[in-house]
Amino acid sequence: MSDLQTKKPQWWKSKDVKITAALWVVLSVLIGVIGGIVNSRPMGQPASETMANTIHIMKLFTWVSAPVAGLVAAIAIKSLMQKMHFGDNPPAEADHQISDSPKATALWLIVSALLCLFALVFGMVVFQRDNNTLLDVHATDVNVTGQQWAWNFDYIDNGKFQSEDLYLPVNKPVHFHVTSLDVVHSFWIVQMGIKVDANPGYVTETAVTPTKIGVYDLRCAELCGLLHAYMQKKVHVVSQQDYNNWVTSHGGTI
Amino acid sequence: MNKRILGAFLTVALGAGTIVGIGSYVAAAKNDSRVLAATPDGTLQTPQGNLPHYTLDMSVYPDSMFGGHGKDGGPHPDYVSYGPVTNFSVPAHSAVTITVHQYDSGESITNPFFAKAHGTMDGTMTVNGVKMSEVSPKTVGHTFTLHGLANGKDQLFVSVPLLYVPEEEQPESGYTKTPSVTTFTFITGGEGEYVWNCEFPCGDGTYARFGAVMSTMGYMSGHFNVVNA
Repeated sequence: MSDLQTKKPQWWKSKDVKITAALWVVLSVLIGVIGGIVNSRPMGQPASETMANTIHIMKLFTWVSAPVAGLVAAIAIKSLMQKMHFGDNPPAEADHQISDSPKATALWLIVSALLCLFALVFGMVVFQRDNNTLLDVHATDVNVTGQQWAWNFDYIDNGKFQSEDLYLPVNKPVHFHVTSLDVVHSFWIVQMGIKVDANPGYVTETAVTPTKIGVYDLRCAELCGLLHAYMQKKVHVVSQQDYNNWVTSHGGTI
Repeated sequence: MNKRILGAFLTVALGAGTIVGIGSYVAAAKNDSRVLAATPDGTLQTPQGNLPHYTLDMSVYPDSMFGGHGKDGGPHPDYVSYGPVTNFSVPAHSAVTITVHQYDSGESITNPFFAKAHGTMDGTMTVNGVKMSEVSPKTVGHTFTLHGLANGKDQLFVSVPLLYVPEEEQPESGYTKTPSVTTFTFITGGEGEYVWNCEFPCGDGTYARFGAVMSTMGYMSGHFNVVNA
């Protein structure tokens, strides 16, 4: 037997593999860049550390998962370009046979599982920091009530007054106690990165510390009926002095 | 043209046509094209100065015989309904006074927040000639609650309770001759699209009583557009 016959084929030197590898790199970068932009832009500039962490995690996870998506897309594109067949004469059986590779399958499963595990642990660690706000005894407590298709707020720490507006002091933790009077709603302050279901007959809790003065969006994130799209409010984050003025103007106490 | 390409093109066109057809049908079904424009009424002195003043009159009936629901009340004659229409148009940067004649009965409202006036001038309303800021949560018939999107437009949230007519004052047939009359004034901001609905759950027989009439445009909900004069 000659040396030529015993030598293993160097598959990584084939033209198909080189083109696929080039496509993989290009597509991974594209997915990472575009995904990073698309992830954060629609939700605006972060108005809390929670949202900043959320955007950071989403960008990180996008870049970590981009090579996986890029590889799938590269193989799909290359296969479609090369193996596409038109006409009445099908290619020979050898040109479209499917071969099995236990090593490749195992590698794919292990890498995917590690990525998922990394995402899970990293996310839990980051969000655990935010949950500490729930334990802050100095937090402002606000009861949030959702009802088709409006929100209202009870400021229970400031003289127990009610408001249709949500005003929050900047750099002070706020503890929301959320419920619903009818169907399931979802209390979502977009730029602050907090979202929790409002369930009838049950109180769910979430907390955040607004870090930037401004006007932000509160939306219902659970499809809740006819005017769900209009179940929105503005959230006003103001200085402590302006907050005090607003509380007293609504009959509350500081 | 290649048959495959033609087939693919026709499939896409058919799919797009189906989606457009369903969308058009749904849009046409949910919208009542009739709009009641506010009536000019001179000017009104407000905390924001002397503003153009407009008025709107509407009523709430215990069934759908009144308004534009069709002969004999249309498909849901037993639905409680606002009338004469449910879409309204008012000018921007104006004082708008709405008078609601409420002919229906009522009971305790699930959320006492909506037994109070919100977003009106001075936070008050006039109920049967008496100025007040709230009614008993046990005597609410319906509410008129106006709100909109948080999309950069001026925010407008106005909500007033409409006092019920006690059962013993309801006639056997027809409508009571002594409806509760609620009048309130609010100031509009810039132009924008808003919606209004009743916050008293009056969809009897449905979960949380927010189904049926409460989930059908043209009865206890509608559009409220603020337009440039």
